[in-house]
Amino acid sequence: MLVDYRLNRDDILERLQRESQDTINAVIIDMENWLDGVESSTLLVARILQQRHYSHEGLLQILRDAVEVNDDIYGAAIALAPDQADQARGFAPYFFRRNGELSYANLADPDYNYQAQAWYTDAVAAQSALWVEPYYDEGGGKILMTTFAVPVYRETDSGERFLYAVVTADVSLAELHDYLQRLRLGSSGFGTLLSRNGTILSGRNPANIMRHYSDTIVEEVDHNTWREMFDAALKGQVVIRHLTCADVPGRCVIRLGTLKSTGWPVGVVYSEDEITAPLREFELKTALIGLLTMLMMAIAVAIVTRRLTRPLQDLTLASDRIAQGDLETPLPAVRGNDEVARLIHSFTAMKKDLKSYIADLETATARRSRLEGELGAAREIQMAMLPHGGEANEVAEDFGLWARVLPARSVGGDLYSYFCRDRLLFITVGDVSDKGVPAALFMARAMSLIQQLAATADDPAAAVALLNEALTSGNDNCMFVTLFLGILDLDSLELRFASAGHTAPSLVRDGGVSSLLQETGPALGLSPDLAFPTNTVALHPGDRLAIFTDGIDEAFNEQDQMFGIARFNAALLAAGGLSTGTAGRELFDTLATFTGAKPQSDDITLLLLDIADPQRLTLQASSEFPLGPKLTGRVEAWLCEVLEQLAPPQEALGELLLAVEEIVSNVYKYAKLPAGAALQITAEAGAQQIEIEVTDEGIAFNPLEEAQRAELGASIDDAAIGGLGVHLITTMTERQSYRRTGGCNILRVTKFIAKPQD
Amino acid sequence: MELTTTVTNDEQNSVARIALAGALNTDTAPDFEKQLSAVLAGQQNLILLDMKDLDYISSAGLRVIFKGAKQAKASGQRMAAANRKPHIDKVFEILKALPDMAVFANEQELDDYLDAMQKQVRDN
Repeated sequence: MLVDYRLNRDDILERLQRESQDTINAVIIDMENWLDGVESSTLLVARILQQRHYSHEGLLQILRDAVEVNDDIYGAAIALAPDQADQARGFAPYFFRRNGELSYANLADPDYNYQAQAWYTDAVAAQSALWVEPYYDEGGGKILMTTFAVPVYRETDSGERFLYAVVTADVSLAELHDYLQRLRLGSSGFGTLLSRNGTILSGRNPANIMRHYSDTIVEEVDHNTWREMFDAALKGQVVIRHLTCADVPGRCVIRLGTLKSTGWPVGVVYSEDEITAPLREFELKTALIGLLTMLMMAIAVAIVTRRLTRPLQDLTLASDRIAQGDLETPLPAVRGNDEVARLIHSFTAMKKDLKSYIADLETATARRSRLEGELGAAREIQMAMLPHGGEANEVAEDFGLWARVLPARSVGGDLYSYFCRDRLLFITVGDVSDKGVPAALFMARAMSLIQQLAATADDPAAAVALLNEALTSGNDNCMFVTLFLGILDLDSLELRFASAGHTAPSLVRDGGVSSLLQETGPALGLSPDLAFPTNTVALHPGDRLAIFTDGIDEAFNEQDQMFGIARFNAALLAAGGLSTGTAGRELFDTLATFTGAKPQSDDITLLLLDIADPQRLTLQASSEFPLGPKLTGRVEAWLCEVLEQLAPPQEALGELLLAVEEIVSNVYKYAKLPAGAALQITAEAGAQQIEIEVTDEGIAFNPLEEAQRAELGASIDDAAIGGLGVHLITTMTERQSYRRTGGCNILRVTKFIAKPQD
Repeated sequence: MELTTTVTNDEQNSVARIALAGALNTDTAPDFEKQLSAVLAGQQNLILLDMKDLDYISSAGLRVIFKGAKQAKASGQRMAAANRKPHIDKVFEILKALPDMAVFANEQELDDYLDAMQKQVRDN
């Protein structure tokens, strides 16, 4: 189609150019013929006058005939040379058409003086026929005209040549203009005719006639182009130029040539757009047909595609519904045996499989939830076997005891037990191999045996040996348990214990921590007839003993680092000032923070035993302080009141108050507490020390590490004002610790009020 | 505890004496800061903080004194502390605060200092 269009376009373009060329040529030839006719009539009269002599009447007759015969001649004159006329003024008869009538005038008029007119003088000067520049004739016609003038020479008898007359023929410019404007090229195209001097003889605008062409052009560029064209045309060349023209829309084409007879530049001005309008029509038609064809093709393709993809679309919709769980969704009907049909078969099979799979899954889930329910019940039963259901907190006059079991699964194999008989305290912590249900069952067996033993036993080693005998019998699965079994004499504070492969307990004493040295026997339940060594350790008032299972020290974090005994001992020491229960929970929190998102791999058990220190905690008080004016004053007043009965040395009390004020100020400054929030302050005091704990719910902030500390001893010029408080806190108190628990900042300081005993 | 301050001006020696009694702590520091800057504006050569009856000072109080000392130094004045009780002294010691500040242990040292200053003035 494109090739066809291309060929047609070139064809049409060529034809259009040829046609416009033909039109122009025809007009020029017509005009040449017309002017030729005028010329030849005039030349004929001149030739007659050259050879024959006529009377005035004869001249009039010749002249009248010449004008009458040739319609194209507006008027004609025979202007005798001055010395050839009878009259002194000369003789110049002139016939011309006026209102369709032939009129006569004698140009030999004193006002006119024909011998001075351009048509006379130019012809005489040139001594040959010529076309005179157009002019307004005042002698006879009183119209714009141009004149063909022929000088007539005769010879005297002696052969001397002299001027006899000038014969002229006038052509009306209006007629010339009408003639040229017959030329039609499009609606805005027009012909133009110029004289050799550049005077416009015919053009689109009649007002411009008789003006010089350069006067009608405004643009400088156009000016130059026109002059160049005009000069070329005068030399007989044909020039074509494209210009912007005021009256012609689109691309304006000017074609300028020369009339052969007169030498006048003649040309046409036309709009290329108008000439090529048929071409554009053709282009439009082609484009329309092209578009229509494409549209029809698109519709046809769409219809065919739709027929092909319809089943696929239905299938997509159906599979979406199936994906949402609606397995009853009907699939599209199968037609033929193409790819789509095979796909639908596959989907049908998949739907069936899915149905049966889901049914299976439902059954399995039901079974599993039943099992989980059973396990939950089992957990409750197991926890009920432990004193106080898995988390015990015992505060007695002589001792404090806290213990907790945290199974890795619903049920586990860790156990603890304690029992007070007379002044003896039995303590057991055990860890059954493996975890889950088998461990739990074995643990239950061990628990009931331990409870039987505790009622009678006096010697830990013998008790452990007995337990081993009992657990070994009928233990074909080779389950085993590691066990710590201790008996504490609450009067002498002597602790005797036997270890069946159990981790050594840790002992906190006088601000230090160590693992107990122990001799241990094998784990229980594997072989009969074993003996276990007895370990003895003397406990002191204020001691804290931590008995635990390896779920603690063998806990891993996300980087696969082990918590380890060292970390556990450090945490134990850090919690040293806390009460038994608080310390125990704090240790579990520390462990949970360490392991992070790593799932718990083993059961965890911790038992803390505090030996009461009569000199230790004698006072415990706690109060809340809402933020507001005189906060430090209120705290100070409360502390003084609480500590009054203790009567601490004035200096120590002053220093403690200073430290507390700095802590409270720090919280106020950095914790960004909302208005209406409160601080909680707890005071615990004994004979030797006062412990203050300040708790706030502000943003996590450890003043011991993060507070901006001023550089001490700087000169006034360099020193920063502020940041001195932390120095005071650390100097004025003996121990400081910070922890973040349950969204709270907790800062604890210890102030010694008497020298600690060694 | 509250803070009581008494200001006496010794025009002859160009000394402003601020006697502090009670506690200079977080609660009382803001008021004292205003008082101190008023005294500093009095353009006495020496601003003497008499701590004879000051029982307690916290870092908030020290901050105010610190700031005052800085201001005094900038305007060519001097600030001094006299009669510090042992535990107040300890706070200053701990913080190694105000190394540039003149410290007079008792009234005698202060009088000696003032005499020396007057002698200096006479000699010039």
